[in-house]
Amino acid sequence: MADLRIDLAGIKSPNPFWLASAPPTNSGYQVQRAFEAGWGGAVWKTLGEPILNVSSRFAAVSYNGQRVAGFNNIELITDRPLEVNLQEILETKKRFPNHAIIASLMVEPKQEKWHEIVKKVEAVGVDGLELNFGCPHGMAERGMGAASGQVPELVEKQTYWAKEVARTPVIVKLTPNITDITVTAEAAVRGGADAVSMINTINSLAGVDLDSWNTVPHVGGKGAHGGYSGAAVKPIALNMVAECARNPFVNVPISGIGGISNWRDAAEFMLMGATGVQVCTAAMHHGFSIVEDMIDGLNNYLDEKGIASVMDIVGQSVQRYSNWGDLDLNYKIVAEINNEVCINCNKCHIACEDTAHQCIDLYTESGRPMLKVREQDCVGCNLCAIVCPVEGAISMVERMSTIAPMTWNERQSIISSFAR
Amino acid sequence: MSDHLLSKDEMKKVDDYLDRGFKVHYVYENLSGMFVEFNRQEEEVCLQILTADARKYFAAKLQEQTLLQEGMSI
Ligand SMILES: Cc1cc2nc3c(=O)[nH]c(=O)nc-3n(C[C@H](O)[C@H](O)[C@H](O)COP(=O)(O)O)c2cc1C
Repeated sequence: MADLRIDLAGIKSPNPFWLASAPPTNSGYQVQRAFEAGWGGAVWKTLGEPILNVSSRFAAVSYNGQRVAGFNNIELITDRPLEVNLQEILETKKRFPNHAIIASLMVEPKQEKWHEIVKKVEAVGVDGLELNFGCPHGMAERGMGAASGQVPELVEKQTYWAKEVARTPVIVKLTPNITDITVTAEAAVRGGADAVSMINTINSLAGVDLDSWNTVPHVGGKGAHGGYSGAAVKPIALNMVAECARNPFVNVPISGIGGISNWRDAAEFMLMGATGVQVCTAAMHHGFSIVEDMIDGLNNYLDEKGIASVMDIVGQSVQRYSNWGDLDLNYKIVAEINNEVCINCNKCHIACEDTAHQCIDLYTESGRPMLKVREQDCVGCNLCAIVCPVEGAISMVERMSTIAPMTWNERQSIISSFAR
Repeated sequence: MSDHLLSKDEMKKVDDYLDRGFKVHYVYENLSGMFVEFNRQEEEVCLQILTADARKYFAAKLQEQTLLQEGMSI
């Protein structure tokens, strides 16, 4: 049994799986049940300025039979009174002293507002704070959430104000609705953040109903943009985590969020620099019990690799994430088709012929249809392997390059010395 | 001609010039490809390289020439 305990900027939890601030952490009843199910921590549904929610709130994008490939919401922060939440946090912390409870906060960008709320939540014994600079809708129209989170100066200043009075670690939750998330991450660090978390939801409109022409979701015939989450956003979130992890100015721990649905996703985020992960949509789709498989899966993975502590995988893949200009132009892989396994659906041939490099030939051998890759024309793009429906029918294999490794940056530097 | 054959042909031209003692003295790239000026004493030739593979190959050769000129072993 590997040691799954994590320490994120001083916040300790029995495992790296936290529920993200969202409907699953709306109340003490839910968070306590989540802890019983095995979740290591919970970021409480954001506390802050008074709001009201609308009905309906959610929509999902299902794709080719996969339910909830992506999830869209127009829900705001908590609509329950602060005192009720504080009382429930107090009770939950008393029952689960070793689990992490983080208070997510969002107030107007004013020093006294941040001071007031930080003091109130710390008084009931939270283990840390998460400043919500990410909510993309509603709150942003009032100058909070993503509206604050898109302005580096405001991120820095508000983090600083929270830190002025905070006695527990401050995590700054960043919005992905920005061109370069490292800019706001750096601003958070300059403001004194002990950690950053990412991502909040991505601006989205789930769809338009082709019969009624209403937006999906709609509120009595009108819609507003929402925030996208779930499996579909994982690659975007993973890249943002990785970009922050490899940025020397973002030298604080990262809590990874966005599309994490199983232990594999969690391990990937941790390898790319996250000290722990937060989950929302997958828990909303399948319930709290998904954490059991997450814990077992991660445990087995670490045991199989002979790794004693989950903290030992944090950031192990970061140095492998580089700039395009530092990739070897002469590294070569090609597709190889195993005709024993191939079912001759010809998807690879069609994909290659229509949209790639026309290097998969159809031929017959003893009356049997076969496929073969013309290696000299294959650029190793992976498309055929991606569209192939049969495991093991197409492998991408390395070929020794006859020319020495050279990156684009190295090439440009050599060429520039021969310019006039 | 297929891209592959064209690139082989272009690589061969690069090799030919280098084997015949030509040295690269000027290189530039634009939207039409890579242009390489080789010279040998008074003689000067310009080669246009179109294919991506040959442009990669040429860069490797250029690196070899540079290292040799700097007296380093390759
Ligand atoms: C319905 C819903 C409500 C949310 N409410 C909040 C919130 O109050 N505060 C917050 O910081 N993030 C909120 N989020 C964002 C999540 O915490 C999380 O950052 C996002 O959903 C990405 O994670 P996921 O792909 O695991 O869902 C909400 C997300 C959803 C789906």
